Amino acid sequence: MSRTATALNYGYYPGCSLHASAREYDQSTRGLFGALGIGLSEVPDWLCCGATPAHNVDRLLSLALSAKNLTLAEKVEGDLAVACAACFSRLKTTQHELKDDAEKRSQVGRAIDGPVPLAKKVKHLLEILDSDFGLERLQQAVKRPLSGLKVACYYGCLLTRPPGVPQLDDAEAPTIMERVIEAAGAQTVAWSHRLECCGAGFTLSRPEVILKLTGDILAAAKEAGADCLMVACPLCQGNLDLRQQEVEKASGTRYGLPALYLTQLLGLAVGVPASQLGLDGLLVSPQGLLREKGLL
Amino acid sequence: MPRRRLARLLLMVRFCFIHPPRHYPAQRDHIVNPAKIVLSRQALNPALIARLKQLAGTSIRNCMQCGKCSAGCPMAGFMEHPPSRTLRLLQLGQNIQVLAGRSIWHCASCETCTTRCPNGVDPAAIMDALRKLWWDEQGRSEEKEVQLASRLFLDNIRRYGRQHEMRLGALFNLQSGKLFKDLALGPKLMARGKLKLTQEKNRNLAEIEQIFARIEQMRQKGKTP
Amino acid sequence: MARIGVFVCHCGENISRTVDVEQVAAAAAKLPGVAFATDYKYMCSDPGQSLLKKAVAEHDLDGIVVAACSPRMHEKTFRNAAKVAGLNPYLCEMANIREHCSWVHEDRAEATAKARDIVQMMVARVKKANKLADITVPVTKRALVIGGGIAGIQSALDIADAGHQVVLVEREPSLGGHMAMLSETFPTLDCSQCIMTPKMVDVANHPNITLYTYAEVENVEGYIGNFQVTVRKKARSVDEDKCTGCGVCSAKCPQKKIPNAFDRDLGMRSAIYTPFPQAVPNTPVLDRENCTWFKSGKCGVCKKVCGPGAVDYEQQDELIVEPIGAIVVATGFKLYDIGRKPEDSSYKGYGEYGYGTIPDVIDGLTFERLASASGPTGGAIRRPSDGKEPKEVVFIQCVGSRAREKGISYCSKICCMYTAKHTMLYKHKVHDGQAYVFFMDARTPGKNYDEFWRRAVEEEEAAYIRGMVSRLYRKGEKIVVVGSDVLTGSQVEIEADLVVLATAVQARDGADSLAQKLGISYDKYNFYSEAHAKLKPVECATAGIYLAGACQGPKDIPETVAQASAAAAKVMTLLSKQQLEREPLVARVRESNCTACFACKKVCPYGAVEAKEIRDRQGKVVRVVAHVNPGVCGGCGTCQATCPSKTVELDGYTDEQIIAMIESL
Repeated sequence: MSRTATALNYGYYPGCSLHASAREYDQSTRGLFGALGIGLSEVPDWLCCGATPAHNVDRLLSLALSAKNLTLAEKVEGDLAVACAACFSRLKTTQHELKDDAEKRSQVGRAIDGPVPLAKKVKHLLEILDSDFGLERLQQAVKRPLSGLKVACYYGCLLTRPPGVPQLDDAEAPTIMERVIEAAGAQTVAWSHRLECCGAGFTLSRPEVILKLTGDILAAAKEAGADCLMVACPLCQGNLDLRQQEVEKASGTRYGLPALYLTQLLGLAVGVPASQLGLDGLLVSPQGLLREKGLL
Repeated sequence: MPRRRLARLLLMVRFCFIHPPRHYPAQRDHIVNPAKIVLSRQALNPALIARLKQLAGTSIRNCMQCGKCSAGCPMAGFMEHPPSRTLRLLQLGQNIQVLAGRSIWHCASCETCTTRCPNGVDPAAIMDALRKLWWDEQGRSEEKEVQLASRLFLDNIRRYGRQHEMRLGALFNLQSGKLFKDLALGPKLMARGKLKLTQEKNRNLAEIEQIFARIEQMRQKGKTP
Repeated sequence: MARIGVFVCHCGENISRTVDVEQVAAAAAKLPGVAFATDYKYMCSDPGQSLLKKAVAEHDLDGIVVAACSPRMHEKTFRNAAKVAGLNPYLCEMANIREHCSWVHEDRAEATAKARDIVQMMVARVKKANKLADITVPVTKRALVIGGGIAGIQSALDIADAGHQVVLVEREPSLGGHMAMLSETFPTLDCSQCIMTPKMVDVANHPNITLYTYAEVENVEGYIGNFQVTVRKKARSVDEDKCTGCGVCSAKCPQKKIPNAFDRDLGMRSAIYTPFPQAVPNTPVLDRENCTWFKSGKCGVCKKVCGPGAVDYEQQDELIVEPIGAIVVATGFKLYDIGRKPEDSSYKGYGEYGYGTIPDVIDGLTFERLASASGPTGGAIRRPSDGKEPKEVVFIQCVGSRAREKGISYCSKICCMYTAKHTMLYKHKVHDGQAYVFFMDARTPGKNYDEFWRRAVEEEEAAYIRGMVSRLYRKGEKIVVVGSDVLTGSQVEIEADLVVLATAVQARDGADSLAQKLGISYDKYNFYSEAHAKLKPVECATAGIYLAGACQGPKDIPETVAQASAAAAKVMTLLSKQQLEREPLVARVRESNCTACFACKKVCPYGAVEAKEIRDRQGKVVRVVAHVNPGVCGGCGTCQATCPSKTVELDGYTDEQIIAMIESL
């Protein structure tokens, strides 16, 4: 990060879904960071990171796409802020795999026809809020504490796994999401499926996988008494939100659990107007819940 | 009956019969138990083990078949061979069966196996390597749709520089014959501005195309695994 | 003029296959100072040694070089032969042309040339060798046993029964170690306390054993046969001579809710306590940290009610110096803890099993306390969280063990057996309960061990599932166990009432600092290192110190007892001597040259260098010089390499000899 006076500034890599199906994540991130005085400069001409399909069938391509993005990121000042967990994972994995492997690095260099810059610090929004900005400052910025809201923090797979790559928090017992949202006054629940996979990209080719896996997650959150889920990944949010009705039909259970991005909840807490948080983007509307808790 | 209506009817019929309704919870297809595996120095295929080590950075010899990976795998119920059994088959040289199967395509890359393996094996990386081996050969496979989704995803990057989710979904439906999949979802997403009908091409698309092209060339010349 | 004899061995085919031994012998014969050279098929054999002895006599040899295997193999053999032939044994050296030559090279010509060079060097060395006499040191006929578990008890009894004095030091208030915590022992299922307490009482009553409990070894000085050990007797606050063991103090103590470590914190004890009813000695200890009197000056009930007036709040720690000849280390083990470890630790905890935060996920020792009749539940199997009887109990093997990624590569040896035992103990107490065991292998090699395990499976109906558990999580009152069965290729899920983890056996906390006090080696896991993995399992590389029990590596009770008796036998060998003979290949200081810079003392790993005062006839100190204690010196030569004035040298490895070897090439 770079500091001008006490202000923080970051480069910003939104990733493909934040410009489309997860536009509310982008919107709320900009809203929140704007309210907190943290600068975001989008990396010019960034490309798709390749997410899971790329590394699934062509590791070199996956590394090359991220290497190209890191090259483009050199053009913006400050550490690189990433919102999407998959993009975050790809960038961190690339840095991790290439930093000690000269041969691979030279192959990737040949693929992108240029040097492979690995020095840029890639940070997830959670890290920025927890460490760089600080929980104390975050607490101070809260205008409307999320009291009475019981949040089930859902990490998904790529924020903490595999150990050694994301380096965000402990892979089996992370608490960074809880820390951040508790600083905003919310109550978090202890529940069994925080780290379980939602089914990710199978939502396209094998939606029945989502019904089972996402269904288990919703059931566990409900059993723990959560009012809503908090997520940091657009694909997880997509599965939890867009397919919730199908899950309800298939399992015969009513959930009604809105899946909100961390930036939406935090945005509400620090006073970003609701219209700028993309709350209407959710299929399982949070309006009723938020109004009930006096947050809207 | 007007031709269009007949076509639509036939499509729906096809949909109902060829794509049976999804049921919940999902089921495993069948358990494969080879009646006999004949082993020899060649059959054990040490070259494959070396190749996987080169691609995945991990040796399948380290797998002591403890089963912890399969225990925690969210997709094990959707695979004929859970991860530990895939590794076992490879330890016994049965790569043809593994590469032709659907199990490797049903891995979610959730990295739980790699996180918990007590002996430092990276099953997630092995899965990547196996899929890549199949992708390079494009040989026989019992799975078609997961590969289709991956192909369309990468195609979009080559075409636009970024994902075109609408095109991804539409082409998948068309090419997999699941025309009515998620049809109801479309309008809901569009109403919320979450489904872009058009996608601008990146300004640096030519550079991106070069990356794809260079990798293809490197592969042809054997300069990269 | 030197008259060296050179004997080149074929070693069957081991050497002669690669090295032309006849050529080497012929070349050696031509070296100046060599009076006799020959080759022979097996020098170490009887006829080979006779050949050597005959040659010494016939050719009037004053030095011998045997070109054969490594001196580690047969140096002693040939030196003895030389001695018998009337030659000073330290004028006999071995030229290693096997491990250093024929076994590591393939080209015959090159290997033969190298063998000739090696022989040439050794001849040059022997020419400069000095006649040396074995060093003798006296022996204190007393043994120290550190640790009062079954290993220490067995060793102490064996040595004491042989008529020698033994000092036994135990850290806890009572003897017994881990074996006293066990319920029943495999493979016979006899009651642990019942077979152990008689031995504990024997130790306490033995006229040859001085027992210090609630005591630790503070410091160790000296060397084999002549140790000075300082023992710290921690203040019990109870006079052992006056206490009758009536137990009124514990009964009346108002502090009753201190977690009892002996009961794995499941049961409570008072501030003045004995850890368990069969404690030996039956003298309580006052836990000053948790005592009201010591914290606030109020109470004092125990003192008031003590009939014999044995409670003494003024008691201090006592330091006792004991002269000792031999030490047996029997400090035992601890169990691996699945809790979170610091970032820089080489061990990882088990986050997937809850990092120790789930109350009904316990370890094997805790299960033993539940099963024990004298335990916190009187032998009933109950969940720690709510005291209910569990009907579905899951046992998980290899938690920590065989897990490179968690920091432990080894197998803990005892868990397969004790888990099978636990399933049986459980079934005997909860007839309608079901035990499940997630395992990788069933390692049951001992006498009647495999039959024991099969009994658990076939008769006692334990469900053994071959596969590991990925994670544990709470669901209401139950614990969901997410595991797999590798044999059917399925995931297996169980909603358990209680989960017992077979955690790895590790060295105790503080094992490394004790080893450093004693000057013994330990491995990366802090287990103490034996001198030779196969042939010297109970000795340390450090002379005079022996190992017994789990401190050397995980082992079960029969092995521990065997090892303890073996260590005792070694001690008895040592103590049976009036004097100890040691190899004279030790460092010596030329006092006239020494400037007393003591660089040698700083680098000596054995602590063998002392300051020596040179006095004049009036007794005034004229100079101080360095002096090497020949009994302690390990012959490593570090002092020789360090000394700036070339004053201290290793006999048998003097600079003169080494330079001669180099120059001979």
